[in-house]
Amino acid sequence: MIRVGVDVGGTFTDLVLEQVDTGGRRRVFTHKVSSTIGDQSVGVVRGVVELCAIADVQPGQIDALFHGTTVATNIVIERNGAEVGMITTKGFRDILHMGRHKRPHNFSLQFDVPWQSAPLIKRRNRIVVDERILPPDGRIETRLAEDQVEQAAELFAERGLEAVVIGFLFSFLNNDHELRAAEIVRRVMPGAFICASSEVVNTIREYERFSTAAMNAYIGPRTKRYLDNLKARLREAGVNAYVRIMQSNGGVSTIEQASRNPVGLLLSGPAGGVIGGRWTGEACDQRDIITIDIGGTSADISVIRDGALTIKNPRDTEVAHLPVLVPMIDIDAIGAGGGSIAYVDSGGAFRVGPKSAGAEPGPACYGKGGTQPTVTDAQVVLGRLDPEHFLGGGLAIDPALSEQAIRTHLAEPLGMSVKEAALGVLKIINNNMSLAIASNSVARGIDPRNYSLMAFGGAGPLHGVALGQMIAAKNVISPLHPGITAAMGLLVTEPRYEFTQSSLAILQSAGKAELEAVNAVFDRLQAEAAAQLAADGIPPDRQRFERVAECRYVGQGFELRVAVPHGPFTAGSAQEMARRFFAVHRTEYGHAFEDQAVQMVTLRVIGSSSSDTLALPLLEKGGRRNPSEAALYARPTTFDDGETVQTARFDRMKLRAQDVVVGPAVIVQQNSTTIVPPGYAATVIKLGDLVIARVGQEG
Amino acid sequence: MAKEIDPITLQVIGGALHAIAEQMGNVLYRMSYSSIIRESQDLGAGLFDLDYNTLCESDSTPMHIGSIPGYLHGIEKNIPKTDWKPGDVVIHNHPYYGASHSPDIGIVMPIFYHGELVGFSANTAHHLDIGAATPGLIIDVPDVFAEGMLLNGLKLYEAGKRNETLWRYISGNTRVPGLVMRDLEAQIAAAELGVKLYCELMDTYGRDTVEQASKQLMDYSEHMLRREIAKIPDGDYTAEGFMDDDGRTRDVRLPIKVTVRVRGDDVEVDLTGSSPQVPTAFNVPFEGSTKVACYFAFRALLLDTYTNQEYIPQNEGSFRPVKVTAPLGSIFNPIPPAACEARFNQIQRVVDLIIKALAPVLPDKCTAGNAACLSFASYSGVRETGDYWVLIEVNEAAMGGRPNSDGPDTIEELMRNTRNNPLEDLGMHLPMICDRYEIRDDVFPGAGKYRGGMGVVKSQRFLTPGFMTHESDRNEDAPWGIFGGQDGIPARVRIHNAARAEEPRDVYAKFSGMRAELGDVVSYLSPCGGGFGNPLERDPAKVLDDLLDEFITPEHALEVYGVVLAPVSNGYKWGLDLPATEALRATMRAA
Repeated sequence: MIRVGVDVGGTFTDLVLEQVDTGGRRRVFTHKVSSTIGDQSVGVVRGVVELCAIADVQPGQIDALFHGTTVATNIVIERNGAEVGMITTKGFRDILHMGRHKRPHNFSLQFDVPWQSAPLIKRRNRIVVDERILPPDGRIETRLAEDQVEQAAELFAERGLEAVVIGFLFSFLNNDHELRAAEIVRRVMPGAFICASSEVVNTIREYERFSTAAMNAYIGPRTKRYLDNLKARLREAGVNAYVRIMQSNGGVSTIEQASRNPVGLLLSGPAGGVIGGRWTGEACDQRDIITIDIGGTSADISVIRDGALTIKNPRDTEVAHLPVLVPMIDIDAIGAGGGSIAYVDSGGAFRVGPKSAGAEPGPACYGKGGTQPTVTDAQVVLGRLDPEHFLGGGLAIDPALSEQAIRTHLAEPLGMSVKEAALGVLKIINNNMSLAIASNSVARGIDPRNYSLMAFGGAGPLHGVALGQMIAAKNVISPLHPGITAAMGLLVTEPRYEFTQSSLAILQSAGKAELEAVNAVFDRLQAEAAAQLAADGIPPDRQRFERVAECRYVGQGFELRVAVPHGPFTAGSAQEMARRFFAVHRTEYGHAFEDQAVQMVTLRVIGSSSSDTLALPLLEKGGRRNPSEAALYARPTTFDDGETVQTARFDRMKLRAQDVVVGPAVIVQQNSTTIVPPGYAATVIKLGDLVIARVGQEG
Repeated sequence: MAKEIDPITLQVIGGALHAIAEQMGNVLYRMSYSSIIRESQDLGAGLFDLDYNTLCESDSTPMHIGSIPGYLHGIEKNIPKTDWKPGDVVIHNHPYYGASHSPDIGIVMPIFYHGELVGFSANTAHHLDIGAATPGLIIDVPDVFAEGMLLNGLKLYEAGKRNETLWRYISGNTRVPGLVMRDLEAQIAAAELGVKLYCELMDTYGRDTVEQASKQLMDYSEHMLRREIAKIPDGDYTAEGFMDDDGRTRDVRLPIKVTVRVRGDDVEVDLTGSSPQVPTAFNVPFEGSTKVACYFAFRALLLDTYTNQEYIPQNEGSFRPVKVTAPLGSIFNPIPPAACEARFNQIQRVVDLIIKALAPVLPDKCTAGNAACLSFASYSGVRETGDYWVLIEVNEAAMGGRPNSDGPDTIEELMRNTRNNPLEDLGMHLPMICDRYEIRDDVFPGAGKYRGGMGVVKSQRFLTPGFMTHESDRNEDAPWGIFGGQDGIPARVRIHNAARAEEPRDVYAKFSGMRAELGDVVSYLSPCGGGFGNPLERDPAKVLDDLLDEFITPEHALEVYGVVLAPVSNGYKWGLDLPATEALRATMRAA
């Protein structure tokens, strides 16, 4: 059995290959190639072929390939998706143009309104037709004018549109009109990408539902072309493996399903990192983890509670300022990374980020024309990044350039030493990151003192201990391969499909008819999920179903996710749900009103199946303290307290299980460096992950 | 007192204060019940020092930002600083004691650190109904007492213990206690969170450091604003406009006059020359609203967060350089007991006139005339159970053209920034249905090199008999064009009944407690913004876009923009004839 994970990032494509031979012996290989921006699949296939050579296997031997991609997200950010048409209810042509009518800036007159200046669907291609469904029961007030739908479709065909969305008001109550209209458009435009809003996400709130459907159609044709290309290139390279694509909800899906519902791929890239974080946590016996994936321009933060991913409240899911109501892992991205630029603003304030030097020109030390000091330059000046180990020595860096940039742009204007300025850069960037972690944890009732902070991405382990200290985390984990945690995560994912339907009911007073209606909706959603899993070749005995209801107090506008008890939905389960809702509300907001009526708004069934997991080889037991066999050399290194001490370097690949490295120490490996400050000790766990804690509090 | 804090610690504490205010605002709007708070986010929350300086405030609705110090000063008239105890919660909404207007109820908690009063955690939120003469909103009432409950610095909790009598009094004097009392609980939760987080901040950095950093952060914000004011040539800049009427005496226009005096890095806004106070609620509380509008104008003009990369802390510093003058007894500084609940349209216009006055010296930062109004609609009725239902809805408008871009269409502009209510959510709960929510198609946008934004049309139908009050303006005074741009379009309010074959009738912008019949449809058509610059300089491609998107017609493109179109066969009907356009534009320029 050979499985490959491929994670495509902005700069690098990371790969990992796992081979399990008939004797159960496992081998794991990793590789990194440059991403190919024009067509990511070129880099993917090149990486796969090269990795096969490294592992000494044939491409044809690969059984499964798991892929995380930023293709869908990039289409949205670069706004180079399809020309899309929309057929909508008469009187409501401009729902997508008005949005929620709130402007993105309070104190601005010159602001941009992205949904107006770069709309997913232009007004000229939004055509209204006669039809009217009425609340609260979904009865038809005006029948669908099918001739108008047909005329609109013919016009779209004449205009050469590639995709069409049908979005009618109140379709979450009754989608007969939407489905009928979609059928007509499919007949007129057989080659086009067509979706009805209720097919993409069957939930209340017209702007958010239409926006989600519009996004799906906007990225649909290009995403499908990419996935088709990928399939073809893999075949040409001799790879016959089945291919699974990472989705935003933390599960994988087939190419066919991903092509049909590409809106589920918008967090395909960062999701793998969180999954990899959870899996590393398990290896370290930690189930409560805050992950932070620190790259060049941004840091992605997520929380894993008792081994479970945090799924974002569907009211908060946005991509590029546009609402997308699909289940997503709660990942908060902030503009802070190794390339973040430090500067003194015109009012004399010391700033770091969000502007980034990116990969080009990159930090000053790259010598590629960047003159402004970055976070990486601060690390270099403080002696924390050794030139010979930077990107495995593959990239020459010049510490003199870092020092010059910091002196010119920070130290001199602020009247401080270069060392003070460099420490300041790190303190400010770490503070920005720790505030973001706090707003994703403490602000939601999560006490970081019970959590491990897992810092990965190339730059993660440089910041890990400082961040762990600032948020008072229990300990800090540096995964064995910090730079390819996301690719590893791909190999431990499972298929996961979600189906939703809005169905309003009061929990405490639900009568027989309402309970029956809820059961009917759950049964139907579960049947849909089962059909999808079966289509993926998963037999019924391996199918798993989880039910979630989004609930709120009657009158509130924001729902919280509540797990639904197993079995038929009875008055008893409704009461239990109310109790669970109070608990979630208390965690989220600090208060709960137990005498108030709770309403279910949207029901959701998640179908999944357990899959193979990735097993890294166990390390040989060392049990040593600062093992001399792993020691490389020592250099002056400055820590956050401002002290500069001669600090030993250790080769991470020579560390063994239960070895302890006591700080001050720097642990180096290809692509990543872990800092162990004075007073801290890093313990090597069975697979090679490091758990770092204050001396005396290890384990 | 601590010495000057280093720039690194300053950034760190500045970030932490900002995060505290955001968390307070989040708890408030997510926990609350009424759509005006939870959907529209008509609220503000922040921390204040012992001198009532704003240390930080949530980035929610501009109208609330900067209004809370007025509440604190007003409360002090009844509760001196020596009378605060840990666990106190004070409720306040008196417009003659600093409140923004009576429905914006303030909740204030003292912050004690190691037994000593160190500041206040406070927030304000717009409440759906405080038992005024008509449900939700009011216009035509005789005095401030008809606005409903006046809560003048009352302790709702005393040392942690709730005053049950006061609680029951409030609950018994609103038409929708189920929403109002829960919203108050959300406000209290947000204030408690602020107290806790501020103490934790002091635990981490020490009280002296936090207080010194706060002072420096205020100085920084002040410095940033003063630097921009200093770039404006000294002088007096004036602009004038008028409001439709006061909501009772029809067709009597109310003049608004704004004089901006720039002297070095100080600026004064003088509203002398504006209308005397009026006998309805169409007056503006001075402390809590008039001043706040002027503070907003300079921040938005000079420290625009879209064009400036740096985050400038939202604190007292940005208020300091701005002095506001309005004669006592004028519409912007009324004498009690004048009612002053319906104040938003007037302050929107103050901001717009400040922009107009300064436009000649700030051509790169100004806008053409914005809608600068507010359609605040209160729909209500009594259910079969005898309970009231009340909905307050804010209808958006549009902005004027700008130096580098068109005015945004259908958007919340200037002092307001609420969110609309999803039509599907309202439809599930209220006996009303929306028949139309689109961009206006009965008029053209204000033409210009950068055109004005298009306004909205929204039609709501009553499914049972009910009541409606509409606080609005600008049916008469069109938003202006600037630098050769054409004027925008004023608003319109129309009523018809779906069941009767009759033409919609135009009504005044303001009306109070109108009794609506089953099937009555009220349509609001908002103003459209003015144009910026000469229409003949507009990029022909943008004119074509507007034509294809059906904002304008081929005739309008030809006559106003000098753009000549040619038929095409790609399904879009029209393309550009660029040579003919060049020739026509040359002729039009010469004419």
